[in-house]
Amino acid sequence: MNTTTILHAIASGERSAREVCDEALAHIEASDDAINAFTETTAQRARAEADAVDARRARGEALPPLAGLPYAVKNLFDIEGLTTLAGSKINQGLPAAREDAVLVQRLQAAGAVLVGALNMDEYAYGFTTENTHYGATRNPHDTTRIAGGSSGGSGAAVAARQVPLALGSDTNGSIRVPASVCGTWGLKPTFGRLSRRGTYPFVHSLDHLGPLADSVQGLALAYDAMQGPDALDPGCHALRVQPAAPRLEHGVEGLRIGVLGGYFRDFASAPARAAADLAARTLGARAEVLWPDAALARAAAFIVTASEGGSLHLEDLRRRPQDFEPLSVDRFLSGLLQPTDWYLRAQRFRRAYRDQVNALFQDWDVLIAPSTPVSAPAIGSEWIEINGTQHPCRPAMGLLTQPISFAGCPVAAAPLWPEGTGGMPIGVQLIAAPWNEALCLRAARVLEQTGTARMEQ
Amino acid sequence: MEEQDILAYVKAAAPALGLTLDTQRAAAVAQHFGRTLAMARLLEQAALAPEHELAEIYRAAPFPAGEVSA
Repeated sequence: MNTTTILHAIASGERSAREVCDEALAHIEASDDAINAFTETTAQRARAEADAVDARRARGEALPPLAGLPYAVKNLFDIEGLTTLAGSKINQGLPAAREDAVLVQRLQAAGAVLVGALNMDEYAYGFTTENTHYGATRNPHDTTRIAGGSSGGSGAAVAARQVPLALGSDTNGSIRVPASVCGTWGLKPTFGRLSRRGTYPFVHSLDHLGPLADSVQGLALAYDAMQGPDALDPGCHALRVQPAAPRLEHGVEGLRIGVLGGYFRDFASAPARAAADLAARTLGARAEVLWPDAALARAAAFIVTASEGGSLHLEDLRRRPQDFEPLSVDRFLSGLLQPTDWYLRAQRFRRAYRDQVNALFQDWDVLIAPSTPVSAPAIGSEWIEINGTQHPCRPAMGLLTQPISFAGCPVAAAPLWPEGTGGMPIGVQLIAAPWNEALCLRAARVLEQTGTARMEQ
Repeated sequence: MEEQDILAYVKAAAPALGLTLDTQRAAAVAQHFGRTLAMARLLEQAALAPEHELAEIYRAAPFPAGEVSA
């Protein structure tokens, strides 16, 4: 069952929320040894939430929009009563969260049923979810390959149909990369759209939260349910809700759609370019468009990430570096040693860059680019080849996502299945101007309706 | 900047932050630092005027006053 059929079955009384919840928990139990998407399940809480939905229905009350829908969250989201691991060993020593993250509270209010917490790269610093402490999350389409990261558990859980909806975070691509390599839908909203309160931070200047789902409707319903101002998150700039779900069926006629060239083709393999080209043809893209200063933006994002990420963990890096993830601890340490000028230049560049990007959207409504340079590499890969050049695998998986999130633009990630990948997916980014998530989702819906992009079992 | 200069910088700067790096770790950190150095050099190509200030607590754009047309 997918989001649409689950919501319909529960709303109509064909199935109870408890029945759907138990089915999800059983599927997780049966499948997670092979996938390793979950670090914890919350069966007792899930059953209580499901029973609450069934009780409301029994009383004849109107059900909220996500009534009975099972979901799970990346383990950097606070869940009341559980310690927020953020993929780390070090955080095991922290006390349990006293309340849910804001977005978990909002999904609960919308009737969704939380079934567990999901694996991730430690402190979100990675694109592969090769987590030494909790094991690598495996790609459900080929368990020898990565699930992407850092929200790899989120991508894998949705792709394996363990849950129809998962929450992740995206600082440099951490929703879009796992969505791409696992073949799921994803949404990285505008920077500042959704409250981050109650989540473990990675890079304050760049952190976004958002959903991964089995359908565009699932993305839109979850996104709408999570919207709302939050004066207590200094990075939350939204002042009111702008629902996207009612606009999903508006199509793309009249929209000015382009496909990104230059950097976004140079760092894309032939299958990744083919995926973007197919999406472009389906959506009636009119021209190839050059995104301003993409390479510089990626460099600036890299520097800001390393500096802020390292600074956040200075005390632990001094006292117990041996307890960090071996695959990322040296990057944190390197970030701490970066000259101040690098960081300041990157932040000054970001302001000028924003103006260039927003000017581009005077002429375009939706721009298309691949999400990752290649399909999922094998777990343990050190290098990937892009157009004849070797690149270090772990950072290079974010080459095509970093320039976009550095600008803060909203992106819907659509799962395509091009030739030349051995049957593995590669996602496509549908990018719009800030605060225009509905445009991204409208384009995604067209790709879904035409069968151009789809989830596969 | 030569590899040995990067390694020397890493070894010299780490104590200022209270970090203790053994030989193997210092070499690994220097490797990452070298990659980022190349990106910093690239970023120096950005034409920034004195009036280009830091990004504030970042906003992608002002929140719109009216409904979007989408």
